[in-house]
Amino acid sequence: MSAVVAAIGFGLVTAAVLALAAVGFTLQFGVTNILNLAYGDVMTASVFAAYGVTLLGGGLLLALSAGAVGGAVLSLLLNRCLYMPFLRRGTELFGMIIVTISAALIIQYAFLAALGPIFFRLPVGEGNVVRLGAMTFTTNELLIMGMAVVAMAGIHVVLRYTRIGKAMRATAGDPALARSCGIPTGRVIDIAWLASGALCGLAGVSLAITLATFTAGTGSAFLVPIIAAAVLGGVGQPYGAMLGALTVGIVSEVSAVYISPQYKSVAAFTILILVLVIRPHGIFAEVSASRGLAA
Amino acid sequence: VSTAAQYYITTLLVYAGVDVVACWGLNLQFGVAGINNFAFIVFQAIGAYTAAVLALGPSTPDNFQQYVGAGPLPFPLPILVAALAGGLAAVIVGLVGLLRLRTDYQAMVLLVISLIATTVATNSTIVNGAAGIAVVPKPLFDTLGLSLLDYQWAYVGLTAVICVLAYLVVHRITGAPLGRAMRAMRDNEPAAAAAGKNVFRLRMIAFVVGGALAAVSGAVLVLFVSAWSPAGWLYPETFVYFAAVIVGGRGNNMGALIGALLVPVAFLEATRFLPDLVNPTFISSMQWIVIGVVTLLFLWFWPRGVVPERRRRPLEPGNGRVMRLMSGRTQRRTDR
Repeated sequence: MSAVVAAIGFGLVTAAVLALAAVGFTLQFGVTNILNLAYGDVMTASVFAAYGVTLLGGGLLLALSAGAVGGAVLSLLLNRCLYMPFLRRGTELFGMIIVTISAALIIQYAFLAALGPIFFRLPVGEGNVVRLGAMTFTTNELLIMGMAVVAMAGIHVVLRYTRIGKAMRATAGDPALARSCGIPTGRVIDIAWLASGALCGLAGVSLAITLATFTAGTGSAFLVPIIAAAVLGGVGQPYGAMLGALTVGIVSEVSAVYISPQYKSVAAFTILILVLVIRPHGIFAEVSASRGLAA
Repeated sequence: VSTAAQYYITTLLVYAGVDVVACWGLNLQFGVAGINNFAFIVFQAIGAYTAAVLALGPSTPDNFQQYVGAGPLPFPLPILVAALAGGLAAVIVGLVGLLRLRTDYQAMVLLVISLIATTVATNSTIVNGAAGIAVVPKPLFDTLGLSLLDYQWAYVGLTAVICVLAYLVVHRITGAPLGRAMRAMRDNEPAAAAAGKNVFRLRMIAFVVGGALAAVSGAVLVLFVSAWSPAGWLYPETFVYFAAVIVGGRGNNMGALIGALLVPVAFLEATRFLPDLVNPTFISSMQWIVIGVVTLLFLWFWPRGVVPERRRRPLEPGNGRVMRLMSGRTQRRTDR
């Protein structure tokens, strides 16, 4: 039993990282309707930005901030310099997916070509071990989980109670109607990319800390769990993504105890597929149903 | 021509044939029927494993590799059974991924399926785990009694025959009313459905035939190179074939053929001659960067590819309205 409790502890850490990433992914998809498969590689780039800062002597908090800023800037640039021009040229939905994969390949393999297949390590220390019953966490992990909770609460407050949050929800619901109501959708979309990029960067640095090492392929390897969490909750639904992240994180770690550690991602993905077969819109169906993504 | 050059040329020709068959399969799914099959490489892998295992026969406990096997079956059967296995897998995946999902969701679910398949194959002994299957016997090698070099050329001949057969299959579909209905579904699904087309059936046909062709390409490849491991079919590999179909011109078989010769063969072979300057992964990284850049350039400058799909006109005035409706011409065309 204590093995299961310990596994739930690991699952909470995974879920915290996954929630940061999945909420960023789903927020951007909900507002802009672009399935950004370069998201994982923006994560990698943010981690390298954070790594650069730690080499200059920055600590954990500075590394997290550098990751967030790096992710936000790169996301905005990707949208402004690559995705928007293709959209304006009339590239359709499928074409945009291919554009984002191309961007993903270019970013990931530019790092690999420049740096080689080397394992890097963020020099931010291990942190002390804290025991809570059968669960053990490092102080770094507690910090990450705390940050995830704060970020989720912050997103909830912004989306529910501020003008920009309202504008984002309106743009996600119906961009044309939002524009004709006087919402500056261009600026809202920019803000969505910045916010999603910042979450992506935070998630990337957190991932690099929980995994202890990272490579040029770390982010892209994490992309599929992110997608699984986002789709599980219903794409475009921040609350769904939080729930999806918890499900994927805990199920994968607990199944590692019962089945085998190698299959932990498979268990979570199998749940995703079952959910999609039974309830194709995901758990929270609002956005995907209104877009006609699933029949 | 020196012996070494002949080995290089024959190997390249077999690879080209494999890529052409695979691209025809993907073009049928993605170019003609509009399915974003991001799990395409899995079907190639299924074909490869099926053929490899059937050519090897069951593994014995003292064998150096462990897998679930049967046979050994005589030569053409491993390829035929591989095609069946690919088609069957496509039916199963299609029922999960295509029945109720569209566009983005399909793409994401198929991506996840691709990753599940790689994880299971890597960590189980169904197909010998991460090491993969090796020493697959070359078909008819003992029977023919040729020298190694002559056998290479014979295999080029076999690949050519399979390419011709594959072309007959895809041409039979794309040139027929069935292919027209698939294109109508791709361009305007509600209109195709309103005209009485069963869009799920159309999608499944494209998916299953494409899956079987992918499996055949994998079978031909594995019987030639004699080994196959999960590292060879990670999900980014699917994207090479997508790039090929986009560069060649999606929606027509000639485009897929030219794309297969240009992208996996020409571009990737060209980067092989780059100096290995920086680090051991430099060349393979450059290959992926080239694939990404070429795809972006084509989507920007020539989104319809080297050989654009022929715009089909309604046959007769009497049929005109229905045909126009079905080809989506009354709707906003997005593939300018």
